[in-house]
Amino acid sequence: MELLASLEHSGFGTWVREAPTIWAYPTVLFLHTVGLAFLVGINVAIDLRILGVASSMPLAPMKRLFPWMWAGFWVNAASGVALLIADATTKLANPVFGVKMAFIALGVVNMAWSKKRLFSDPEGLERGPASSHAKRVAIVSLLLWIGATTAGRLMGYLGPVSGLE
Amino acid sequence: MMGPTGLIPLGGVLQSAAAWTETTWLHYFATNYKWVWATMETLHFLGMGLLVGTVGVLDLRLIGVAKGLPIESTQKLVPWGIAGFVLNTLTGIVFLAGAPYQYLYNFAFQMKVLFMIAAGINVMLFYWGGAWPKAKRVGAGESAHWAAWLAGATSLFLWIGVMYWGRMLTFFRPPFVVPPK
Repeated sequence: MELLASLEHSGFGTWVREAPTIWAYPTVLFLHTVGLAFLVGINVAIDLRILGVASSMPLAPMKRLFPWMWAGFWVNAASGVALLIADATTKLANPVFGVKMAFIALGVVNMAWSKKRLFSDPEGLERGPASSHAKRVAIVSLLLWIGATTAGRLMGYLGPVSGLE
Repeated sequence: MMGPTGLIPLGGVLQSAAAWTETTWLHYFATNYKWVWATMETLHFLGMGLLVGTVGVLDLRLIGVAKGLPIESTQKLVPWGIAGFVLNTLTGIVFLAGAPYQYLYNFAFQMKVLFMIAAGINVMLFYWGGAWPKAKRVGAGESAHWAAWLAGATSLFLWIGVMYWGRMLTFFRPPFVVPPK
């Protein structure tokens, strides 16, 4: 707990939380939102395609969208660390934060795995509708990202809340 | 009550719109149940992901990402983007009804609405201004022409801008507004 308090009161933590400039807390929060939109949003688009939406769209070239999702992930990892340091004692005491991290860990593993397994066989992807296995992966992906987003939002309402959003 | 602040000096109109909003059942619903605001916010974030993700795939393709996708095929995702937009309009109306002064007099909210209108105009110009008939014939491996590229880049910029102003709302909260919660 003392380590968390010292993180929170470090120069960086205090700056993120309290600096009276648009470039501190507001910008970090904005980056965290854009990262979410790219990581979760594009993943949802791929999941929808696997589930049969826009079936005229070939799946294999969607592989090129993965770098954009990873960019979203890393932007959110970095901005998330900054937000965590700024509010360490409260966030780490909140069980909802743990739930969010679990959803994200599973979501990222599922995403990396689907790239490796589903997208390693582009011809297989092109042959007719996606397999029931691929569809299960897509449904799991949707549920994990909905869970992560929901948990992230509810951190502002459930468990210990500092008032920092 | 302080006078109007922000971009658009609507003064009396804004004042009476906000006052009327606070008499509606939707205002009561949004402010008298603890779970409503949290649920609406969650849906608003999910709608945002759906909108920006699906429309974003079309936009990215227009600017040259994942060129293996024929442009017309990516457009089939757009109805899902519209679903996200509708979800966010509805949940947004709940926020607006719940705290009209916090939004109507807020510079960031006014900018957010302007960016949304600009995104709407961009879409209409893209589909009806002549770029779409040409863009939809762009197949795998081909590049979109400059007008379609510009529409995609503009759309990405504007929706990222909408997220920016959405996030700035709480930091531009008018001084006379008591924060919700």
